[in-house]
Amino acid sequence: MTQHITTVARKEFEDAGRSKLLWALIALLVGLVTIGYVAIWYTADDVTAAEVLGFIALPLQTIIPIAALIVGYMAVVGERRSGSIKLLLGLPPNRTDIVFGKLLGRMAVVATAVFLAFVVALVLGAVLFGSVPFVDWLAFGAISILFGVSFAGLAVGVSAGVSTRGKSMAIVVGLYMLVLALWELVTAGPYYLVYGEGPPVEAEAWYLFVDQFNPITTYTTLVGNVVEGEVFPFMFQYGLEDFEAAGMTPAERYAGDAPFYLQDWFGLVVLLCWLVVPVAIGYYRFQKTDL
Amino acid sequence: MAAIETVGLTKQYGDLTAVDDLDLTIEEGEVFGFLGPNGAGKSTTINMLLDFTRPSAGSATVLGYDAQDEADAISPRVGVLPEGFDIYPRLTGRRHIEFAIETKDAADDPDAVLERVGLSADDAARPAGDYSKGMRQRLATGMALVGDPDLLIMDEPSSGLDPHGIREMQELVRSEAETGTTVFFSSHILEHVEAVCDRIGVLNEGELVAVDTIEGLRESIGGGGTMELTLADSADAFRDAVGAVDGIADVTVSGRTLECSIADPAAKAGAVIALDDAGTTVRDVRIEDVSLESLFTTLTNGGDDPGGRSTDETESPAAATPEVAE
Repeated sequence: MTQHITTVARKEFEDAGRSKLLWALIALLVGLVTIGYVAIWYTADDVTAAEVLGFIALPLQTIIPIAALIVGYMAVVGERRSGSIKLLLGLPPNRTDIVFGKLLGRMAVVATAVFLAFVVALVLGAVLFGSVPFVDWLAFGAISILFGVSFAGLAVGVSAGVSTRGKSMAIVVGLYMLVLALWELVTAGPYYLVYGEGPPVEAEAWYLFVDQFNPITTYTTLVGNVVEGEVFPFMFQYGLEDFEAAGMTPAERYAGDAPFYLQDWFGLVVLLCWLVVPVAIGYYRFQKTDL
Repeated sequence: MAAIETVGLTKQYGDLTAVDDLDLTIEEGEVFGFLGPNGAGKSTTINMLLDFTRPSAGSATVLGYDAQDEADAISPRVGVLPEGFDIYPRLTGRRHIEFAIETKDAADDPDAVLERVGLSADDAARPAGDYSKGMRQRLATGMALVGDPDLLIMDEPSSGLDPHGIREMQELVRSEAETGTTVFFSSHILEHVEAVCDRIGVLNEGELVAVDTIEGLRESIGGGGTMELTLADSADAFRDAVGAVDGIADVTVSGRTLECSIADPAAKAGAVIALDDAGTTVRDVRIEDVSLESLFTTLTNGGDDPGGRSTDETESPAAATPEVAE
């Protein structure tokens, strides 16, 4: 029975709405967008609103995951440690309602924060640069919201699967470091060990498939398709892989016509994986555990 | 149908047996006190009834439904005041009650519920994070009462309450019981249980050491206590007159006082009448019941220990160790 999911989600959303942390995160996102727009308006000439819009993908690819992870990582485990989960489970909602209600509630929080940042971007684009690139804006905003809710799902999943706040934080920080700073080491590293050299620009399909599961490069690839100008992923590089490859999408690196799993739209599947897999694992563990 | 029934309910944490082979039946409509020192396994038992914790062996039913497989059928009909809970600090007291009403699909008036547990309209409008421990306890009690549950499960309901609050809580339990609600109530403080419960079960180190009415427990542990009679005359001459009364087990004399061990509570009046008939004046009567406190100490510290269990909670053995029930 899952009839209480929306009730729990609404309570979550309302609870989060009174959290200073949430408002700080919204202020951060909105502030970042504002500063970006004003700075470009002040320094650059002959820039269109569409170009500026693409430019803000650069800071968002780093900030959205951080904000979403902070919103989600305490979702379930926080209630477990404080004991409020007993009050909640003493009422009709069951564990399924809690995990998915919290997931929906926290995803809504992240989506709201990203949406507000984009509204500000649209308004500033109109005011400072005199045009409204609505189609770009809509697609870019939708991808950014998906990007944000994926990380929120990841964090809620982790928070459901562990028993202490510390573990949740360690796993969430670890995963963020993995995708931001260690990805090349864990993908190109083994490749280097096996083949004695780093992966070339036109690497084997299996390597390109594995490598594209980084949600940040996935985001920049997807956004690159809908905004003007190129969007580079901001990540740590170790020189194992050709530097030229860093800014290229899997489809561009594939010799010939890329199979479906290397095409740009496949990034949507990748982002959904980052949402679904941690939630499934966390849910399974939470169902079994003693509280 | 029993409101709560456990069969061989057991919970082990590694080598520690928190609840050991518990067989317990609580009938519909009764107020049952679940008594035991801290760490006896009361909360673990309650957590298993609510599916917070899964048993290592055995099973439990609540309102006829399996506590694990049919938990969703149980929760709408049960009001729960858990132990070691917390409120949502950012939400108001009123929002907590409203949330309980929404989830239970009940028609209660939030203000009426709040008033019933002693929270004012001003309190209700404040974030619950500002509440004292006692107010949090009241708020959670209010949430438990929403939807007129068939069964109230309260784990240490008096914790955090002042004596006045405890009396109010006891009145609330009584009024719920009068409307036919079964109440299952745990405590480590005897007098709180004694004041409201029809029957009590005593849990120690995970085992049920006694289940009975309070009177029944008193009797099984050594009759109805003692009665001390102070006479106007030297007591020695009246020893036989008192000793002949049915239900007086033993009489000792010192000066003008007679100390009688009472086997049957009705014998107390008989003793006074017998003395009056014998021609003396009773100046004073002091009656000492077996105190429940000592009864409790006897039950929880005494008894045989099958070994292999943690003895963290065991204090020095009491002098008397009668076998009351298994």
